[in-house]
Amino acid sequence: MRAPSLRRVTNEARLLLIGIPVAIWTLLPIYHLFLFAISPKESAFAGNLWPDHPTLQNFAIVFGEKHYYLNHFWLQMWNSLVIAVAAGGLTLLVATAAAFAISRLKLRGGRAVMNLALFTYFIPAAFLAVPMYKTMGLYGLLNNQWALILAMMTVAAPYSIWVLKQASDKLPLELDEAARIDGASPMQLFRLVYLPLMVPSLVAIGTYALLLAWNEYLYAFLLLSNDRDITLSVALGNFLAADDSPWELLMTTGLIYALPPAAIYYVFKRYMVGGLTAGAVKS
Amino acid sequence: MASVSFQNVEKSFGATKVIHGIGFDIRDGEFMVLVGPSGCGKSTLLRMLAGLEEISAGTIAIDGRVVNDMESKDRDIAMVFQSYALYPHMTVADNMAFSLKLRKAARATIEERVARAAKILNLEPYLKRYPRELSGGQRQRVAMGRAIVRDPKVFLFDEPLSNLDAKLRVAMRGEIKALHQRLKTTTVYATHDQVEAMTMADRIVVMHDGRVEQIGTPLELYDRPRNLFVAQFIGSPAMNVVDGTVRRNGAAPHVEAAGGVRWPLGAASGPDGQRVAYGIRPEHLSLADSGTNGAVPAEIIVVEPTGAETELLVKVGEVQIVLVTHGRPVVNPGDRIALAVDPAMVHVFDKETGQRLKV
Repeated sequence: MRAPSLRRVTNEARLLLIGIPVAIWTLLPIYHLFLFAISPKESAFAGNLWPDHPTLQNFAIVFGEKHYYLNHFWLQMWNSLVIAVAAGGLTLLVATAAAFAISRLKLRGGRAVMNLALFTYFIPAAFLAVPMYKTMGLYGLLNNQWALILAMMTVAAPYSIWVLKQASDKLPLELDEAARIDGASPMQLFRLVYLPLMVPSLVAIGTYALLLAWNEYLYAFLLLSNDRDITLSVALGNFLAADDSPWELLMTTGLIYALPPAAIYYVFKRYMVGGLTAGAVKS
Repeated sequence: MASVSFQNVEKSFGATKVIHGIGFDIRDGEFMVLVGPSGCGKSTLLRMLAGLEEISAGTIAIDGRVVNDMESKDRDIAMVFQSYALYPHMTVADNMAFSLKLRKAARATIEERVARAAKILNLEPYLKRYPRELSGGQRQRVAMGRAIVRDPKVFLFDEPLSNLDAKLRVAMRGEIKALHQRLKTTTVYATHDQVEAMTMADRIVVMHDGRVEQIGTPLELYDRPRNLFVAQFIGSPAMNVVDGTVRRNGAAPHVEAAGGVRWPLGAASGPDGQRVAYGIRPEHLSLADSGTNGAVPAEIIVVEPTGAETELLVKVGEVQIVLVTHGRPVVNPGDRIALAVDPAMVHVFDKETGQRLKV
């Protein structure tokens, strides 16, 4: 084997110099989370790098709903799941239809819609929280999970439309023309040609919207208030209402809450990266 | 099977007019090739016939029925695209069956038609494969198969061979022609390649800048090009064209080119002193003994033997021209030779209008 050239060594060194701090920066809080989760209540704040008596007791308490703050743990977990899946599904429906209409059917005004979609990101979602609260109040949807589902769809849709439109543009136009000549109506074109070819992008965008809704705190906190309706993220926030917060249980629940997104991301990561280049059909 | 008729067809994209009132008829069962350089409007015309582009003015009729406002799917046509446009997520069999499924044909009919098309195109071993698993030539055949199963009134081909390598192109050219001879379906075929046009067509429409330059059988276009554009577009290697002036005083009528070179005029008309473009195909020139009556003196620049024939680049007066000979002449660059011109084979065009001078 040839000795690596100086250039390569310096390149590697530079990457490591950036990579190691970033990795520590990212992993340290997660390690803290984990440390709290396996520490007994007394030694949670001991500041050790590893607890003297690691325990799974905290997990037993959380799964068994054996604490005042955790009375509805499973129900709230379920709420999070339902809302995330519904928001992901609805976003997909809206964004796919919009992307198809704009990119493939060349609908009049499509450009304006795309510009508007981009424009929405000039305004941080947090600024829109109160207007959204009022709007949902007008619709009579406050304290209804539909309010959060619709709100999350509204937040996720513009970016989704944008990405799906870009991916659609990369599908060759001749496919549509061939299908039209073969006798396909626009709906048949959508169902039989467009959707199957867009699968990687759809998975990527569905996952994006799902995780966005799963992780949402602010909107969930504002729009839902009943203990039996809220998502787990809001329940986690409620831990801090007391002076003597059970930190070890908060962290344990947080760790559990973080696992599904990690799993989803791991399963679909192929699509998350692939989705961005999915349309690149070989000519 | 059907006839196709174009009448005063025009096409504009915004303010830009790309087709300027084209009219011609295609006979039932005919293989018609639209040929011209890129941007001449041949693809646009084909796409208007297919229903993929609006018709700005005029009418297009298939089998006597005006189709201007008819959807593509109702025109009973099938099209083969340059990029094949196969559905990547469907097998070869599904690709071919797609149109029939949309038309809700019976399963037995679909299977029978697909099997028949696969047999015609030698695609039987590949029916379960996906397009990405096929070679370029096989994909091309699937695209044709997709057209055949429809049993349409008209086949449309839009530069179908452009994505293939040279050898495969020649092979597929033969296959398409054989297919047409077998099915006898009216075919409209757009290409920029005049060799494809010459070898495949029953008749050719030569287009240029959105206008028809000439319509005729391949040999009509070759023997009697109506204008300079057609003359230079049809034929390979291209026709030699020399600028000159008609001279009728004194000896035999001839065209005098720069440097005092005298080209025999043949039977072409044109008054003394008219400025003309004098055309002669490389294969209608031959080597002559110097001193032959009417021979044109020349100097050899390049000799290109291809085995069957030899292409010579020669200098005559101030211009370079090409000649093709079937023999294997023993000549070398720098040799001074004489060219014999067959006066019956010369083409003389008005320098200003580019139109052929009458005989």
